[in-house]
Amino acid sequence: MHPLRRQRLIAIVALLLGLGIATFFTLAALNENLDHFYSPTDVLEGKVDDGKRFRLGGVVLEDSTERSGETLEVTFVVTDRLKNTPVRFNGILPDLYKEGQSIIATGSLDDGVFTATQVLAKHDENYMPVEVQEALDKARATAEANGTVVEGTQ
Amino acid sequence: MQKFWIWLTRFASPPVFYRVAGLWRPWLGLATLLFGVPALIYGLFFAPADYLQGESYRIIYLHVPAAWVSMLAYVAMATAGAAALIWHTKLSELAVVSIAPLGAGFTALTLLTGMLWGRPTWGAYWVWDARLTSELVLLFLYLGVIGLASAYGDARRGARAAALLSLVGLVNLPIIHYSVHWWNTLHQGSTVRIFGESSIDGSMLWALLASAMAAKFYFAWSLLGRLRLQLLAAESEKAWVAKALNLEPADA
Amino acid sequence: MELSLSLAFRAALQRELKLAWRRRGDLLHPFAFTLLVATLFAIGVGAEITLLQRASGAVAFLCVLLALFLSVDGLFRPDRDDGQLDHLLISPVPLPLLLSARLLAYWLVHGIGLTLASPLLAMLLRLPADQLPVLMLALTTATIGMSAIGLIGAALTVPLKRGGILLALIVLPLYVPLLIFGCGTVAAQANGEPIAAALYLTAALSAFLATLAPFVAAIALRLGMD
Repeated sequence: MHPLRRQRLIAIVALLLGLGIATFFTLAALNENLDHFYSPTDVLEGKVDDGKRFRLGGVVLEDSTERSGETLEVTFVVTDRLKNTPVRFNGILPDLYKEGQSIIATGSLDDGVFTATQVLAKHDENYMPVEVQEALDKARATAEANGTVVEGTQ
Repeated sequence: MQKFWIWLTRFASPPVFYRVAGLWRPWLGLATLLFGVPALIYGLFFAPADYLQGESYRIIYLHVPAAWVSMLAYVAMATAGAAALIWHTKLSELAVVSIAPLGAGFTALTLLTGMLWGRPTWGAYWVWDARLTSELVLLFLYLGVIGLASAYGDARRGARAAALLSLVGLVNLPIIHYSVHWWNTLHQGSTVRIFGESSIDGSMLWALLASAMAAKFYFAWSLLGRLRLQLLAAESEKAWVAKALNLEPADA
Repeated sequence: MELSLSLAFRAALQRELKLAWRRRGDLLHPFAFTLLVATLFAIGVGAEITLLQRASGAVAFLCVLLALFLSVDGLFRPDRDDGQLDHLLISPVPLPLLLSARLLAYWLVHGIGLTLASPLLAMLLRLPADQLPVLMLALTTATIGMSAIGLIGAALTVPLKRGGILLALIVLPLYVPLLIFGCGTVAAQANGEPIAAALYLTAALSAFLATLAPFVAAIALRLGMD
């Protein structure tokens, strides 16, 4: 082959290879679940260890918020309408925090109580993150399949 | 197709462009006023107040058109940059150098109006919102192009380096945009959007579209003016310049 | 005579690495710089450990990013000053090939060098132990992309007298996505989330930039030199 054509071929192969690697990693990243979190059912099934940081997602159970008078400490219950996890949080809740609304809290489990360091609320009342909705649906489906009584339904 | 290329090459020759741009400019200026004045008067004084954001939303009649132009200008600059690198035409090199400050100006206007809107809405002039943040990075990209173009002693070389940088920036712009969005959703649950999912009323829409058109006409008007001056400066020793200036002394 | 491209690549790589080895003392400067920035940060913020610790991953990443940026100007400037750059340009070997050798050498020396030095930085900033391997992984990956951006920036500014603040204006905004995904990787580990997504995005971006940079830098060098 002519040297110049060979050089060009090598350049094109190198370009395609590099861009191929980039595409591969992009697709791999998109396959990963970005919004990974555990539901109260996962927590009670022991999928997470005590003390390890993770994200807990679900709906704030109605009439469960209790504020302590003197400190910023708040406790409330997160539910996937099947199982409940009590949450303790020391800080200011986001403005959009409301009972009956989905939240995602970051923190760790301590004797069955989830100690949150950050609580995120989703902003629209009608809007529920797709993943939370999916988790709720899944929990309900397994419950129905097992014939378990569903606690805390509306 | 062949005819189109011939037309384009002829159009890109400095004397022809200088003359044609001079003919177009008054019309572009007129279009800016025709679209801009009614849209701004209606938008700022007569359009119904937004039910959520009250009167402060009115700044969208400046903010949104400026934001659109700031991005459009970058694409235009990079397109001119590609032309400059491929065909080495003087006109496209000058276009890169002329668009950069204009684009930076529109980006700065977008940021400024965004901040003014943010004060009543978020309670702070600056919030690390995804759109504002990408717009800020866009401003830095413009500043880099402007800085590079002016740092070279030789103007043509500077323009070509700036052209290449604008292309690099264009490739990176979607990546920056995506990454900033990714970062923003990671750190923050929600933000109020200046121009969010909520539908806007028809009466607001026409004024918005008209002001957006006005912004684009203004951009074209201003760009052609800058390009004409740059051409005169770059070709000051050529015969056509002397001729052009003698023919239209009022325009010099 | 048939030109051996792989031989040329290896020779260029060896030259860069040998040069770096001869001046290995200079590598202490960027390393000391990272420690200095970390110290200034800690002094500025105050010695409150919780605050320091929460920001530690991002600050460590940023220290390395800034130190790496400082060495960008040295990519071509010494070679321009002693005329080596002209030889590079008239060489029969394709310029992008020589530039990719230089990119690889630069990453091995500065990117990997600073990454290997990062545990000390992490210790100063009190980075939680489980985040250190993730930080090093993120730095290893992200410095490839940063080096690639640096290569383009250095090539664009080498005809100028000094890179200085203009180089910062060109290079730093382009670092933004790498900073976001790299710090995102460390932050994911800190929050107990899977790090894969952020790390893959960093890797994708680095691969993309490293592939294109030698070609773009070659165009830039030719623009400035002819």
